[in-house]
Amino acid sequence: MATIELDQIEKVYPNGFHAVHGIDLEVKEGELMVLVGPSGCGKTTVLRMIAGLEDISAGQLRIGDRVVNELGPKERDIAMVFQNYALYPHMTVGENIGFALKLRRLPKEEIERKVQDAARILGLTQWLDRKPGQLSGGQRQRVAMGRAIVREPSVFLMDEPLSNLDAKLRVQMRAEVSHIQRQVGVATVYVTHDQIEAMTMGDRVAVMRSGYLQQCDNPQVLYDAPDNVFVAAFIGSPAMNLFEAGVSTGNGTPSLALGSQTVPLPDRVLDTHRGLRAYDGKQIIVGIRPEHLPAADGDAEAPLVGEIDLIEALGNELQVHFTIDAKRVLAEGPSEEDELSSSGAGVARVGPHVPARVGERMTFDLKVDGLHFFDADTGLAIRH
Amino acid sequence: MAEVSAHPSTGVPTATPPVIVGRSDVYRRRMARLGWMFTAPALFFIGAVTLFPIGFAVLLSFENVNVTGAGFQLNGLTTANYSLVLGNSEWHYALVFTIGFTVVTVLVELILGTMIALLLERLTKARGMMMAILLIPWSLVTVISAQLWYYIYNPTYGVLDSILSFLGLGNPVILGSNASAIMAMMAADIWKTTPFVAIIVLAGLVMLSTDIYEAAEVDGATGWETFWKITFPLLRPTIGLAVLFRVLQAFGLFDLPYVLTQGGPGYATTSLAILAEKAMFNDNQFGPGVAVATTTALLVVLGCFAFLKVFRAQVGEEV
Amino acid sequence: MRTRKRSGWRRYINLVTVGVTLVLIAVLLPLYWLVSSSFKGPAGIFSANFFPKALTLNNYSQALNGTANPFGRYILNSVIVALSTTALVLFLATLAGYALGRLPMRGKLPILMALLMISVFPAIAVIAPLFLLMRSINWLNSYQALIVPYTAFNLPFAIWIMRNYMLGIPKEMEETARIDGAGPMRTVFSIIVPQVKPGLFTAGIFCFSACWTEFLMAISFNSETNYRTIPVGIANFGAQYVTPFGIIFAAATMASVPIAILVLVFRRSVVSGLTAGAVKG
Ligand SMILES: Nc1ncnc2c1ncn2[C@@H]1O[C@H](COP(=O)(O)OP(=O)(O)O)[C@@H](O)[C@H]1O
Ligand SMILES: [Mg+2]
Repeated sequence: MATIELDQIEKVYPNGFHAVHGIDLEVKEGELMVLVGPSGCGKTTVLRMIAGLEDISAGQLRIGDRVVNELGPKERDIAMVFQNYALYPHMTVGENIGFALKLRRLPKEEIERKVQDAARILGLTQWLDRKPGQLSGGQRQRVAMGRAIVREPSVFLMDEPLSNLDAKLRVQMRAEVSHIQRQVGVATVYVTHDQIEAMTMGDRVAVMRSGYLQQCDNPQVLYDAPDNVFVAAFIGSPAMNLFEAGVSTGNGTPSLALGSQTVPLPDRVLDTHRGLRAYDGKQIIVGIRPEHLPAADGDAEAPLVGEIDLIEALGNELQVHFTIDAKRVLAEGPSEEDELSSSGAGVARVGPHVPARVGERMTFDLKVDGLHFFDADTGLAIRH
Repeated sequence: MAEVSAHPSTGVPTATPPVIVGRSDVYRRRMARLGWMFTAPALFFIGAVTLFPIGFAVLLSFENVNVTGAGFQLNGLTTANYSLVLGNSEWHYALVFTIGFTVVTVLVELILGTMIALLLERLTKARGMMMAILLIPWSLVTVISAQLWYYIYNPTYGVLDSILSFLGLGNPVILGSNASAIMAMMAADIWKTTPFVAIIVLAGLVMLSTDIYEAAEVDGATGWETFWKITFPLLRPTIGLAVLFRVLQAFGLFDLPYVLTQGGPGYATTSLAILAEKAMFNDNQFGPGVAVATTTALLVVLGCFAFLKVFRAQVGEEV
Repeated sequence: MRTRKRSGWRRYINLVTVGVTLVLIAVLLPLYWLVSSSFKGPAGIFSANFFPKALTLNNYSQALNGTANPFGRYILNSVIVALSTTALVLFLATLAGYALGRLPMRGKLPILMALLMISVFPAIAVIAPLFLLMRSINWLNSYQALIVPYTAFNLPFAIWIMRNYMLGIPKEMEETARIDGAGPMRTVFSIIVPQVKPGLFTAGIFCFSACWTEFLMAISFNSETNYRTIPVGIANFGAQYVTPFGIIFAAATMASVPIAILVLVFRRSVVSGLTAGAVKG
């Protein structure tokens, strides 16, 4: 068991492409760290540098108390699960799991015992004599896990291990993978582009974008206090609504101009976001989570009126897509799917029995305590 | 409603970024070195048996070679070998014969092979078995098939002779006259290699998607039009490479005349390879023999280049 | 217009079946003639009877026990040469194909193109210099006189085949093996090679059948009885006054049946090899 420390890690590929910029990250013992970000942001590159499959261009990588920059993958005492599993198709499940041990010239009985143990943990005992080609996707995934845990490495690395599975199995395997990870208690870096996977599995989540680390914290902090517009838009589903808004904190009641509508900013909000006062008379970006837009009944503190474009009934709630006349801000979202569904301008989550009809206007009860504020130029969160 | 584009910056204001040079990849270099170690033995074999002898052959072809019982002497540079060969009517004939034989047999094999492939494509269950049967002539030793045809063509007890006299076509000595010997040899070659062409074309046909045909049918194309406008153009790369293989093979024609006619009657079926071999090993004309072999190789290479130029659009991108 | 389903056997008669039957006859009839003649006695051989009157195994025993033409010996020579060459070619082509397909060497493309060019080079061009070279190192009439040039001439195609199969394996295979602690040799032979078995079959069967049928080099380098291979032996059977066709065809049948069976058993490999260069993918 060991920790993993990345200290100002950089990666420049031989073709000159600068894929990773100065990443600092520390994975504690037994921690499951999820690296998440849109496709092509450099997650796999970081993982492969930790594994030793890719050279580190600059910076220092420590596993345990050793600097491992110059060590090969074999000496780093790691195990890795690939997206396509890379199971050896000509070997049985048992041979696949035991291959690394065989290379270490462990005695036959010991290999046998360890393979059996791993198989028991993963529920693979009855499949040990099968070839990978005869297994289902989920079983193959488990074999890949088995191959990793049987070696008792000090570090686990997983690159989108669930993305080859169908949606239902993926949900099931999420729980299973985190369960196994907790059982073996090894520092783990888990790469995914799926923010739900990241939120549900990670002890902490590191969000990356274009080779830069954006924010690394536990999932609730990422959700409640995103450091910048990108993290705000990336984490959460449906995604946070982002609009341009004008701030006025000078004379009169402090308020926010959202298009032609005015949202009052009570003192308690200005107290928790003291930085806002400096933006008096300026444009900022305001972020509203869909759950902070319930339907208004009577006296709302900050009513917001929108025109309904689309209603998605989920049974337990309605997702109401609406348009207001404020400028919408598009931070590249987690997936195209969400981009498409937000073709209106905003999404609100309202109670299942609220009367709402497409084309009508609807008043929402904007919960101002849940608002997020970002600098319009830098995208950084405005807080203290 | 207008949309404001996202913030391209990461939100982290950076000072002038440090210049980072990609560290040279030690493992990559080691693997590249390993690659050369893995390739070297094969390249050595190939070089020793092809490249080096080719160079040596070019040298020999410009030498006054004297092969003796124990070894050989090189008696000085000369272009005599080439002038002897290029002015020689036997060489002229062999060149024309080889080219003619190649063109005729490849053309016939291509047409027959394509017809057979189109025919077999109609089959469903029996297709695999037919392919297997077509592979038998391909796997046959050429010398064996030559002996078989030699037997079939035999003027006194050959089966073809019996058939011809049964049909009242007289008693021709098939391998005895120039024209019939050449045609007989072509027939033997066509019998053995048409199946090869058929299999290649069939494999190409099977891979063409069926929707193309359905689309053509919907568009109202007749069977004939479909073949010329759709099937044939799509098959062109396949057919092109089949032709290349066949031309190369036919141009080196040796085994068949060696057994069937020994190049005769006269030198009616003397191919370039037969001529070279005879000169070198029978007539003790080593220098001229090598000159024939070298010019043949040169022709093949030039022909190949020309072919690849014509077919580059289809073939070049595959490599 | 009225269409009626033809009943009974007549519904099997159409252009396709007629055509296929013609093809079958054209291919199989000469083969039948070859095999049936090998069972004919002298009387049968010298008359063109479709059904042999009396069958005999005489030709076979004469072919195997002949002193001037010990055909058993020729078979043995062919087997030795073809098997050694194939083993050598597969070993070398696996290593080279792995390197050219998967290792980060520079200059892969020129090498591959050069291999293509060499594979079209006619053997007749190198016969003379090789003959002189072999004579000066006393290699004429030996197994290596054929094994070495056969290896060289069969390597380019085998390397291409192996490379193409190697390209199809995901790169994570080597990375997993590397993390597992396997060295390069170990990776090639216990991880990669087992996954390219079809390629080995294809390359192997092409190499074997090429060695089995090669004639020009065999007759130029190994003309002595003790080192003749099957094609040389069969070509030279006719050297006497009367061609002993019965014995030739007995020998030919014995030489053809094993290779035909091999080709039929591995026919998928053969077809994939035949079309390897011709068809994309
Ligand atoms: N070997 C390489 N050479 C050059 N660029 C590469 C290489 N591998 C990946 N990249 C580039 O680096 C960026 C990050 O890739 P990757 O780490 O695979 O992203 P992710 O796993 O987050 O999808 C991508 O833009 C990709 O094109
Ligand atoms: Mg990736």
